[in-house]
Amino acid sequence: MKNTFDFVAHRKMFAVISAVILGVALIFNIIFGTAMDITFKGGTLMRYSFEGTVDMAVAEKTAKDVLGNAATVKQETVNNTPVISVSLVDEISTDKQTELDDAMAKALPDNKMVQFSSNSLQASMGKRFFAKCLVAVALAAAFLLIYVGLRFRKIGGLSAGAFALLALAHDLLLVYFTFVIFRIPLNDNFVAVMLTILGYSLNDTIVVFDRIRENRRKLDEKTPIGDVVNMSLNQSFVRTRNTSITTGIAVGTIAVVALVLRMDAIISFAVPMLFGVISGFYSSMFLSVPLWAGWVEKHPAKKK
Amino acid sequence: MKRTSKSVFFIVLVLIVALAYTSFFGIYTQFGDRTDTVIRGAKDIRWGIDIRGGVDVTYGPVDESVAVTEANLQGVETIIAERLIGKGITDYEMYSDVANHQVIVRFPWSSDEKDFDPAAAIEELGQTAQLEFRMGDATEEKDGKTVPTGSIVLTGKDVASAEAVFIQNDNGTQEPVVQLTLNESGKNAFAEATKKQSASKGTISIWLDGAMISNPTVQDTITGGIATISGSFETLTDAADLANLINSGSLPFAIEAKSSGTVSPTMGEKALEAMVLAGIIAFVLIAVFMIVYYRLPGLVAVIALIGQIAGSIAAISGYFGVLDSFTLTLPGIAGIVLSIGIGVDANVITAERVKEEIRSGKTIDNAIRLGSKNSFWSIFDGNISVVIVAVVLMGVFGPADGIWSMLLKPLLFWAPASTTGSVYSFGYTLFIGVIFNFVMGVWASRAMLRSVSRFKFLRKPWLYGGVKE
Repeated sequence: MKNTFDFVAHRKMFAVISAVILGVALIFNIIFGTAMDITFKGGTLMRYSFEGTVDMAVAEKTAKDVLGNAATVKQETVNNTPVISVSLVDEISTDKQTELDDAMAKALPDNKMVQFSSNSLQASMGKRFFAKCLVAVALAAAFLLIYVGLRFRKIGGLSAGAFALLALAHDLLLVYFTFVIFRIPLNDNFVAVMLTILGYSLNDTIVVFDRIRENRRKLDEKTPIGDVVNMSLNQSFVRTRNTSITTGIAVGTIAVVALVLRMDAIISFAVPMLFGVISGFYSSMFLSVPLWAGWVEKHPAKKK
Repeated sequence: MKRTSKSVFFIVLVLIVALAYTSFFGIYTQFGDRTDTVIRGAKDIRWGIDIRGGVDVTYGPVDESVAVTEANLQGVETIIAERLIGKGITDYEMYSDVANHQVIVRFPWSSDEKDFDPAAAIEELGQTAQLEFRMGDATEEKDGKTVPTGSIVLTGKDVASAEAVFIQNDNGTQEPVVQLTLNESGKNAFAEATKKQSASKGTISIWLDGAMISNPTVQDTITGGIATISGSFETLTDAADLANLINSGSLPFAIEAKSSGTVSPTMGEKALEAMVLAGIIAFVLIAVFMIVYYRLPGLVAVIALIGQIAGSIAAISGYFGVLDSFTLTLPGIAGIVLSIGIGVDANVITAERVKEEIRSGKTIDNAIRLGSKNSFWSIFDGNISVVIVAVVLMGVFGPADGIWSMLLKPLLFWAPASTTGSVYSFGYTLFIGVIFNFVMGVWASRAMLRSVSRFKFLRKPWLYGGVKE
């Protein structure tokens, strides 16, 4: 075969590359921390659209008069609309929200301040939502491991499942770090992206295992596992690459359109997803399956 | 082996085009000024409030340690629904989260309401309802409003519960009634009032937030604190309606907004426009890539993909009678995008396999047959793994009485299912997308490919990925 690549022989190199990338990202995370949206931590975020130029000192004083000194005020662009954002670490009553709306309109009459969006959430509700997300991920991972274990028992289902989960963990960590590095607060979008990549990454890995199973059946029993895996990876390479290209086109287009129109809610969804798609391709081709081959070489299945 | 007829391609093509046309544009009949919807199109999709703007609020008891029953939450729902309808808002969504003692309400805010004040609306909906039992049902006009004049016998705090039950009446038949249980505080006043009114065959009227909800004639003096309202109910449901209204006015706790979010319609509209634009551009790019790279199977894949998208839209808009229309949110759109990616993948896997077989020297018929056969289980496993993810999401984030929550119940004891949210929407569209992937991306696209390969002018290996002769 021409144009073949020995994935299995290079597995350690790719493992080191991945470890370095994840390690650097982790250090970045420890230094800069993780921003959490109020979806998870609770609190208040009120946004106002306006006209003209806002005197920020007045806006800040108004917000602090109503909500206390803990309130922070900044000007930002959300969905291509300039807004004044007022945030607070605690939730506030709807009375207070109305009070703030009125105070803003009164203090800055020339700017026509209109409430653009508001969010207020008790901290306990944020924690509950976060717990549910963890449950969903754990439950999905458990079911997937069982499914892969059953479907691929001929080639050592449990170890295949475990390495598929390794690829999954790699991709999910990478998505998480994308949020951290781009300073996107974790919110509903974070959950949706994590789950999308969960399904996508697993799909990629399973297709390769499927090919290995098929080749194992066809080839002489004495063929070393490394050769079977290399052959399977080379055969599935174009498919996995092209699927990643088409999915990448879809997600990338959304990201570009969102960037051009400055739709922040969509950018924070599409950009981490794009990284997840690339990572999903890489992890199944260069990481999890070759590493699995190495593991099987060292732990050959007992003869029946 | 039975050969697929040439006509299959055209039959499948016509079916897909018909599904795509009707699900995108719908079918409407115009009869004078009246337009009837025969089939719902894409414009009938009910958009989530993250797209069209609106309010999302979660109510719960102010004092979180208080005991909350399902009937209490039902009462909260009833009063909020009454108030929403009073405001002219009928397309709201409301769920009770029994495990967490919450009621979640979402309602849109129409763009023609310039002065809509969401914070005030949230406040108003969550106010404690005023329940009053009054002597007689006399009213007077005051400031243009009809107000009751009878003296107050009981208020909400005097009523323990109201329940719809069947009792045997004097004729020996079962009759639906509302059974009222009063608190200690209300027993004496109610006994006195019923003594007075039963003597004169008068009534005691029941008022909720200033509107009369019932005015039963008093038959007997009631001293035990348990009364029944009978005679006016056709069914148990009618009785339950009144019981809910009474319960909503006698809640043992006050409620407040635990969380609230509002999105102005302009913010949402821009997000939707961006998503639609991105969708169209992405589809065109993928179509070009597939046709250039995979040639004939690529073209077939694009047709199947149109069918898959149309199927997803139809499943959301309520096109199929059996599936209710579904509220589509931004994460829901993400689910459709992912399912399209998986749909393309099914076609890529098949086309790659066909190409491999052609290049190893197989005939076109054999290459298509073997390519389809060898790729099926790979596609199957990949799709089932996505179905697992979708089902877990719908179970964890779906309504407690939904089918998926029921199935997962034994596993969800530490995180009880609660209310439908945006993540549920993602799971639903993903699930629907994978189903249509099996119909379109696997079955329809293979049938079409086998069928077009019967045409003589299309029997060139190059068209299937072979090397150019």
